[in-house]
Amino acid sequence: MPEQRLSPTVCGNSKRNEVLSRRDFLNAATALLVGIGLPSTGVAGGGKHGSAGSGQRVVLVIFGGVRRAETFSPEGIENIPCLSGEMLRRALLFADVRNEGVTAHFNAISSIFTGTWQRVDDWGKDAPQSPTVFEFFRKQLRVAQSDTWVIASNKALTSLIGASSVSEYGPSYGANVVFPKQLMVAAVINALRAGRTASLADRTRVETELQAMLEAGNYEGLGWNVFDGVSNLDPRVRSTIEAAISNFVRSGGPTSGDELTYLVSKEVMRKFSPRLLVIIFSDVEVAHFGSYALHVAGIRTGDRLAHQLWQDIETDPEYEGKTTMFILPEFGRDPDGSITNGFFNHRSDTESTRSTWMMTLGSAIEKTGLVERPIRHVDLCPTVSGLLGCRRTEVQGVPIAEVHV
Amino acid sequence: MRSEAHDKLPEPLQEALDQGLLKRLPRTFLPFTRQQLRDWDYLFPYERNSIVRLLLFVASLSPAETVATFRDVLQLEQRMGVSNWQFSTEEQTILNASLLARSPYYQDWRKAVQKVFDAAEEHAARADTTKASRHRFVLLVIPQKLPLDSTTVWRRWQSIGRVVKLDGTEAGGSHSLAQVLLATPRGEPRAGLIDIVTRRPGKTVADCWILDAGHELVESVLASEPIEPGSYPATLLSYERLAGFREQFSHEINEMQKDLSAADAVYERLRKVDVTPWCPPEVAGVPVIREYLRSLYLSGNGALIFGNSFVEWGASEALRRARPDLLVARFGVRSKPKPFTSVAVFENPDQINPQPAVDDLQGSALDAQELAFYVWLAASRYDEYRTDTACVCVAESLSEAYVIAPPEFGLFRKTQPVPIGQLPVILADWLS
Repeated sequence: MPEQRLSPTVCGNSKRNEVLSRRDFLNAATALLVGIGLPSTGVAGGGKHGSAGSGQRVVLVIFGGVRRAETFSPEGIENIPCLSGEMLRRALLFADVRNEGVTAHFNAISSIFTGTWQRVDDWGKDAPQSPTVFEFFRKQLRVAQSDTWVIASNKALTSLIGASSVSEYGPSYGANVVFPKQLMVAAVINALRAGRTASLADRTRVETELQAMLEAGNYEGLGWNVFDGVSNLDPRVRSTIEAAISNFVRSGGPTSGDELTYLVSKEVMRKFSPRLLVIIFSDVEVAHFGSYALHVAGIRTGDRLAHQLWQDIETDPEYEGKTTMFILPEFGRDPDGSITNGFFNHRSDTESTRSTWMMTLGSAIEKTGLVERPIRHVDLCPTVSGLLGCRRTEVQGVPIAEVHV
Repeated sequence: MRSEAHDKLPEPLQEALDQGLLKRLPRTFLPFTRQQLRDWDYLFPYERNSIVRLLLFVASLSPAETVATFRDVLQLEQRMGVSNWQFSTEEQTILNASLLARSPYYQDWRKAVQKVFDAAEEHAARADTTKASRHRFVLLVIPQKLPLDSTTVWRRWQSIGRVVKLDGTEAGGSHSLAQVLLATPRGEPRAGLIDIVTRRPGKTVADCWILDAGHELVESVLASEPIEPGSYPATLLSYERLAGFREQFSHEINEMQKDLSAADAVYERLRKVDVTPWCPPEVAGVPVIREYLRSLYLSGNGALIFGNSFVEWGASEALRRARPDLLVARFGVRSKPKPFTSVAVFENPDQINPQPAVDDLQGSALDAQELAFYVWLAASRYDEYRTDTACVCVAESLSEAYVIAPPEFGLFRKTQPVPIGQLPVILADWLS
């Protein structure tokens, strides 16, 4: 569950943002909201185009279910000061990104990964039935597993999200999958069962509890698949997670699941520099429990963490100038007044649930601005595959023309 | 286990069932229908009427009409391959829901099912020309403790009603506005609001609902007059008084494995376990309300987690299932998520983290504003509340109310600010 505390580096309060005049901001927001497009004259990202595969990197950030009403709308932009401010000015924003499949977590994410609408078990019992972008990339370009990661907060996912059940592909071409939030949940439950609840009020002891879970070795129970053997965590992975935990516990900052997911992602970027990194935030999913305030706090957290990730990319020589970042929700949420109880859920066959947005920044975009034509979630897989240098992907989606491979 | 005496099904329905009515229904209609018939004792009068209308409508159809009525549903079932599914025709399961939702034809199927229900309702409406309208009242209370911004508090209501200023200077001392409104008048000839509704012909406790995120409102009703066990004047649901029920349910759900069959097993157990010992007296003694609560908690939507979600979802379900004449929903305060442990949302935060709970007043206020609006939206989905209903959402800390009502509603004729002491009389007039 997210907390409402905001880090001092929150985009809306940052010094960097202060230099943007309110008029600039409002002009940009108004232009966006009335759909007349943003200034689109500058070259964005500063990267080289047409260099697919030559060291290109992709960072894909997926939020849970987020409605346009709480994000890119007149009332919503206050919840996304980073995305609608500094980042928007450097981005290509797709205004109508459609989930035409099952609007539940496992299927939505596996459709994004495979480029083909998936209709598998929603609780992650079955792997996607078409090859994932990780498998295309690793098989065609003989890329190591450590170059492809999925780091996710979402409890509805399992390690099966990282590879398909297709016989000529499968787990041997899949991504590393880590669920940092599951480590936290397991540590809390473990401490509770052992009667060590006092541990959970003390940051130092919390770190001990989390480390104990890492040492326990039941990584499959956590849904992870980053092993060097049957149940041993790869030593480099282990030190990466330990560093993230230490930072998470000792920084005195917010302590939601997405914060830990971000810190683990940052460590993974620092140690492994993966060429394809997927980060899935899910603090917003507290909406299922009906707290609108906590849902909005989750959006603000996601906005801030996406911004921090972009800053990390821009200051890391392994990523700077050769990385494309995509940010998109899995789907929207149900409209107010729907029989499915509005923002709580994401089951209705409505625009509010099916249509969201996607922001693209970095080396693969030539111009900033707004793309009003609809694109689909399944279009992302062939686009990312192309950026990474894959020659072919037989999928339902088509490459997004505005993203230059 | 459930052990109450059973009510009989209406004779015409029983006869139709004896003649094999269920065999005429498509496979995907069976889990819902069978479950409703099996749970007959625990259905509200409105729900009983609804299933009777559906089944008697089907019974009235000729074979050719039956085929025509269900054609779309049957074709979609065939396309979806329902006959090859592990689909329970006995009861609604999570697996059933998951199989349907995953199908590419799911939305079409939902529309086709709705079409059948609409036809049944139209059939019943044609047959019943005596439908009497009556005034209804929905009261939503955002309590004093929650800080509100007068410039934005009614923004989400999008001008569908009017703001009315209230004057609380002569209010009921330490009593909240809702307590004042629901109190039984002393030394006055008029009846209280609850009395007015429950004295209407054929009315039951299902016609009058009070949902409280705290406990004060329910307890003030319980204390207002001597109540015989088992004969409560209204459906009284207090989130705080239901703590024991929630603890037990949460415990079971926390044990659940992340697997469909395990989930169905846990839900099956929770559907059958005797919940009476977990209930406060005002729930334990009313079987239909006990079962409503069980079903409410099984349906999620935060009812087990947050008081305000319980109030909103509880009210929405009450409106859908019981169509009450009087519904009062009072929101409250939740705590801030605790550091680290807040990830385990199903666990009781006070049990797993010894840090003291801290009220989240700002967050609770935002939740309450959104959810109060949702209760009205839930009501406005149904014909019963589109006319002849007054909805008053009170922002106690601002001494303001947002009112959606027909022009003749008495509150609109008063000079503002309206003294709170006048509200019980205005509302009694409306409901009388």
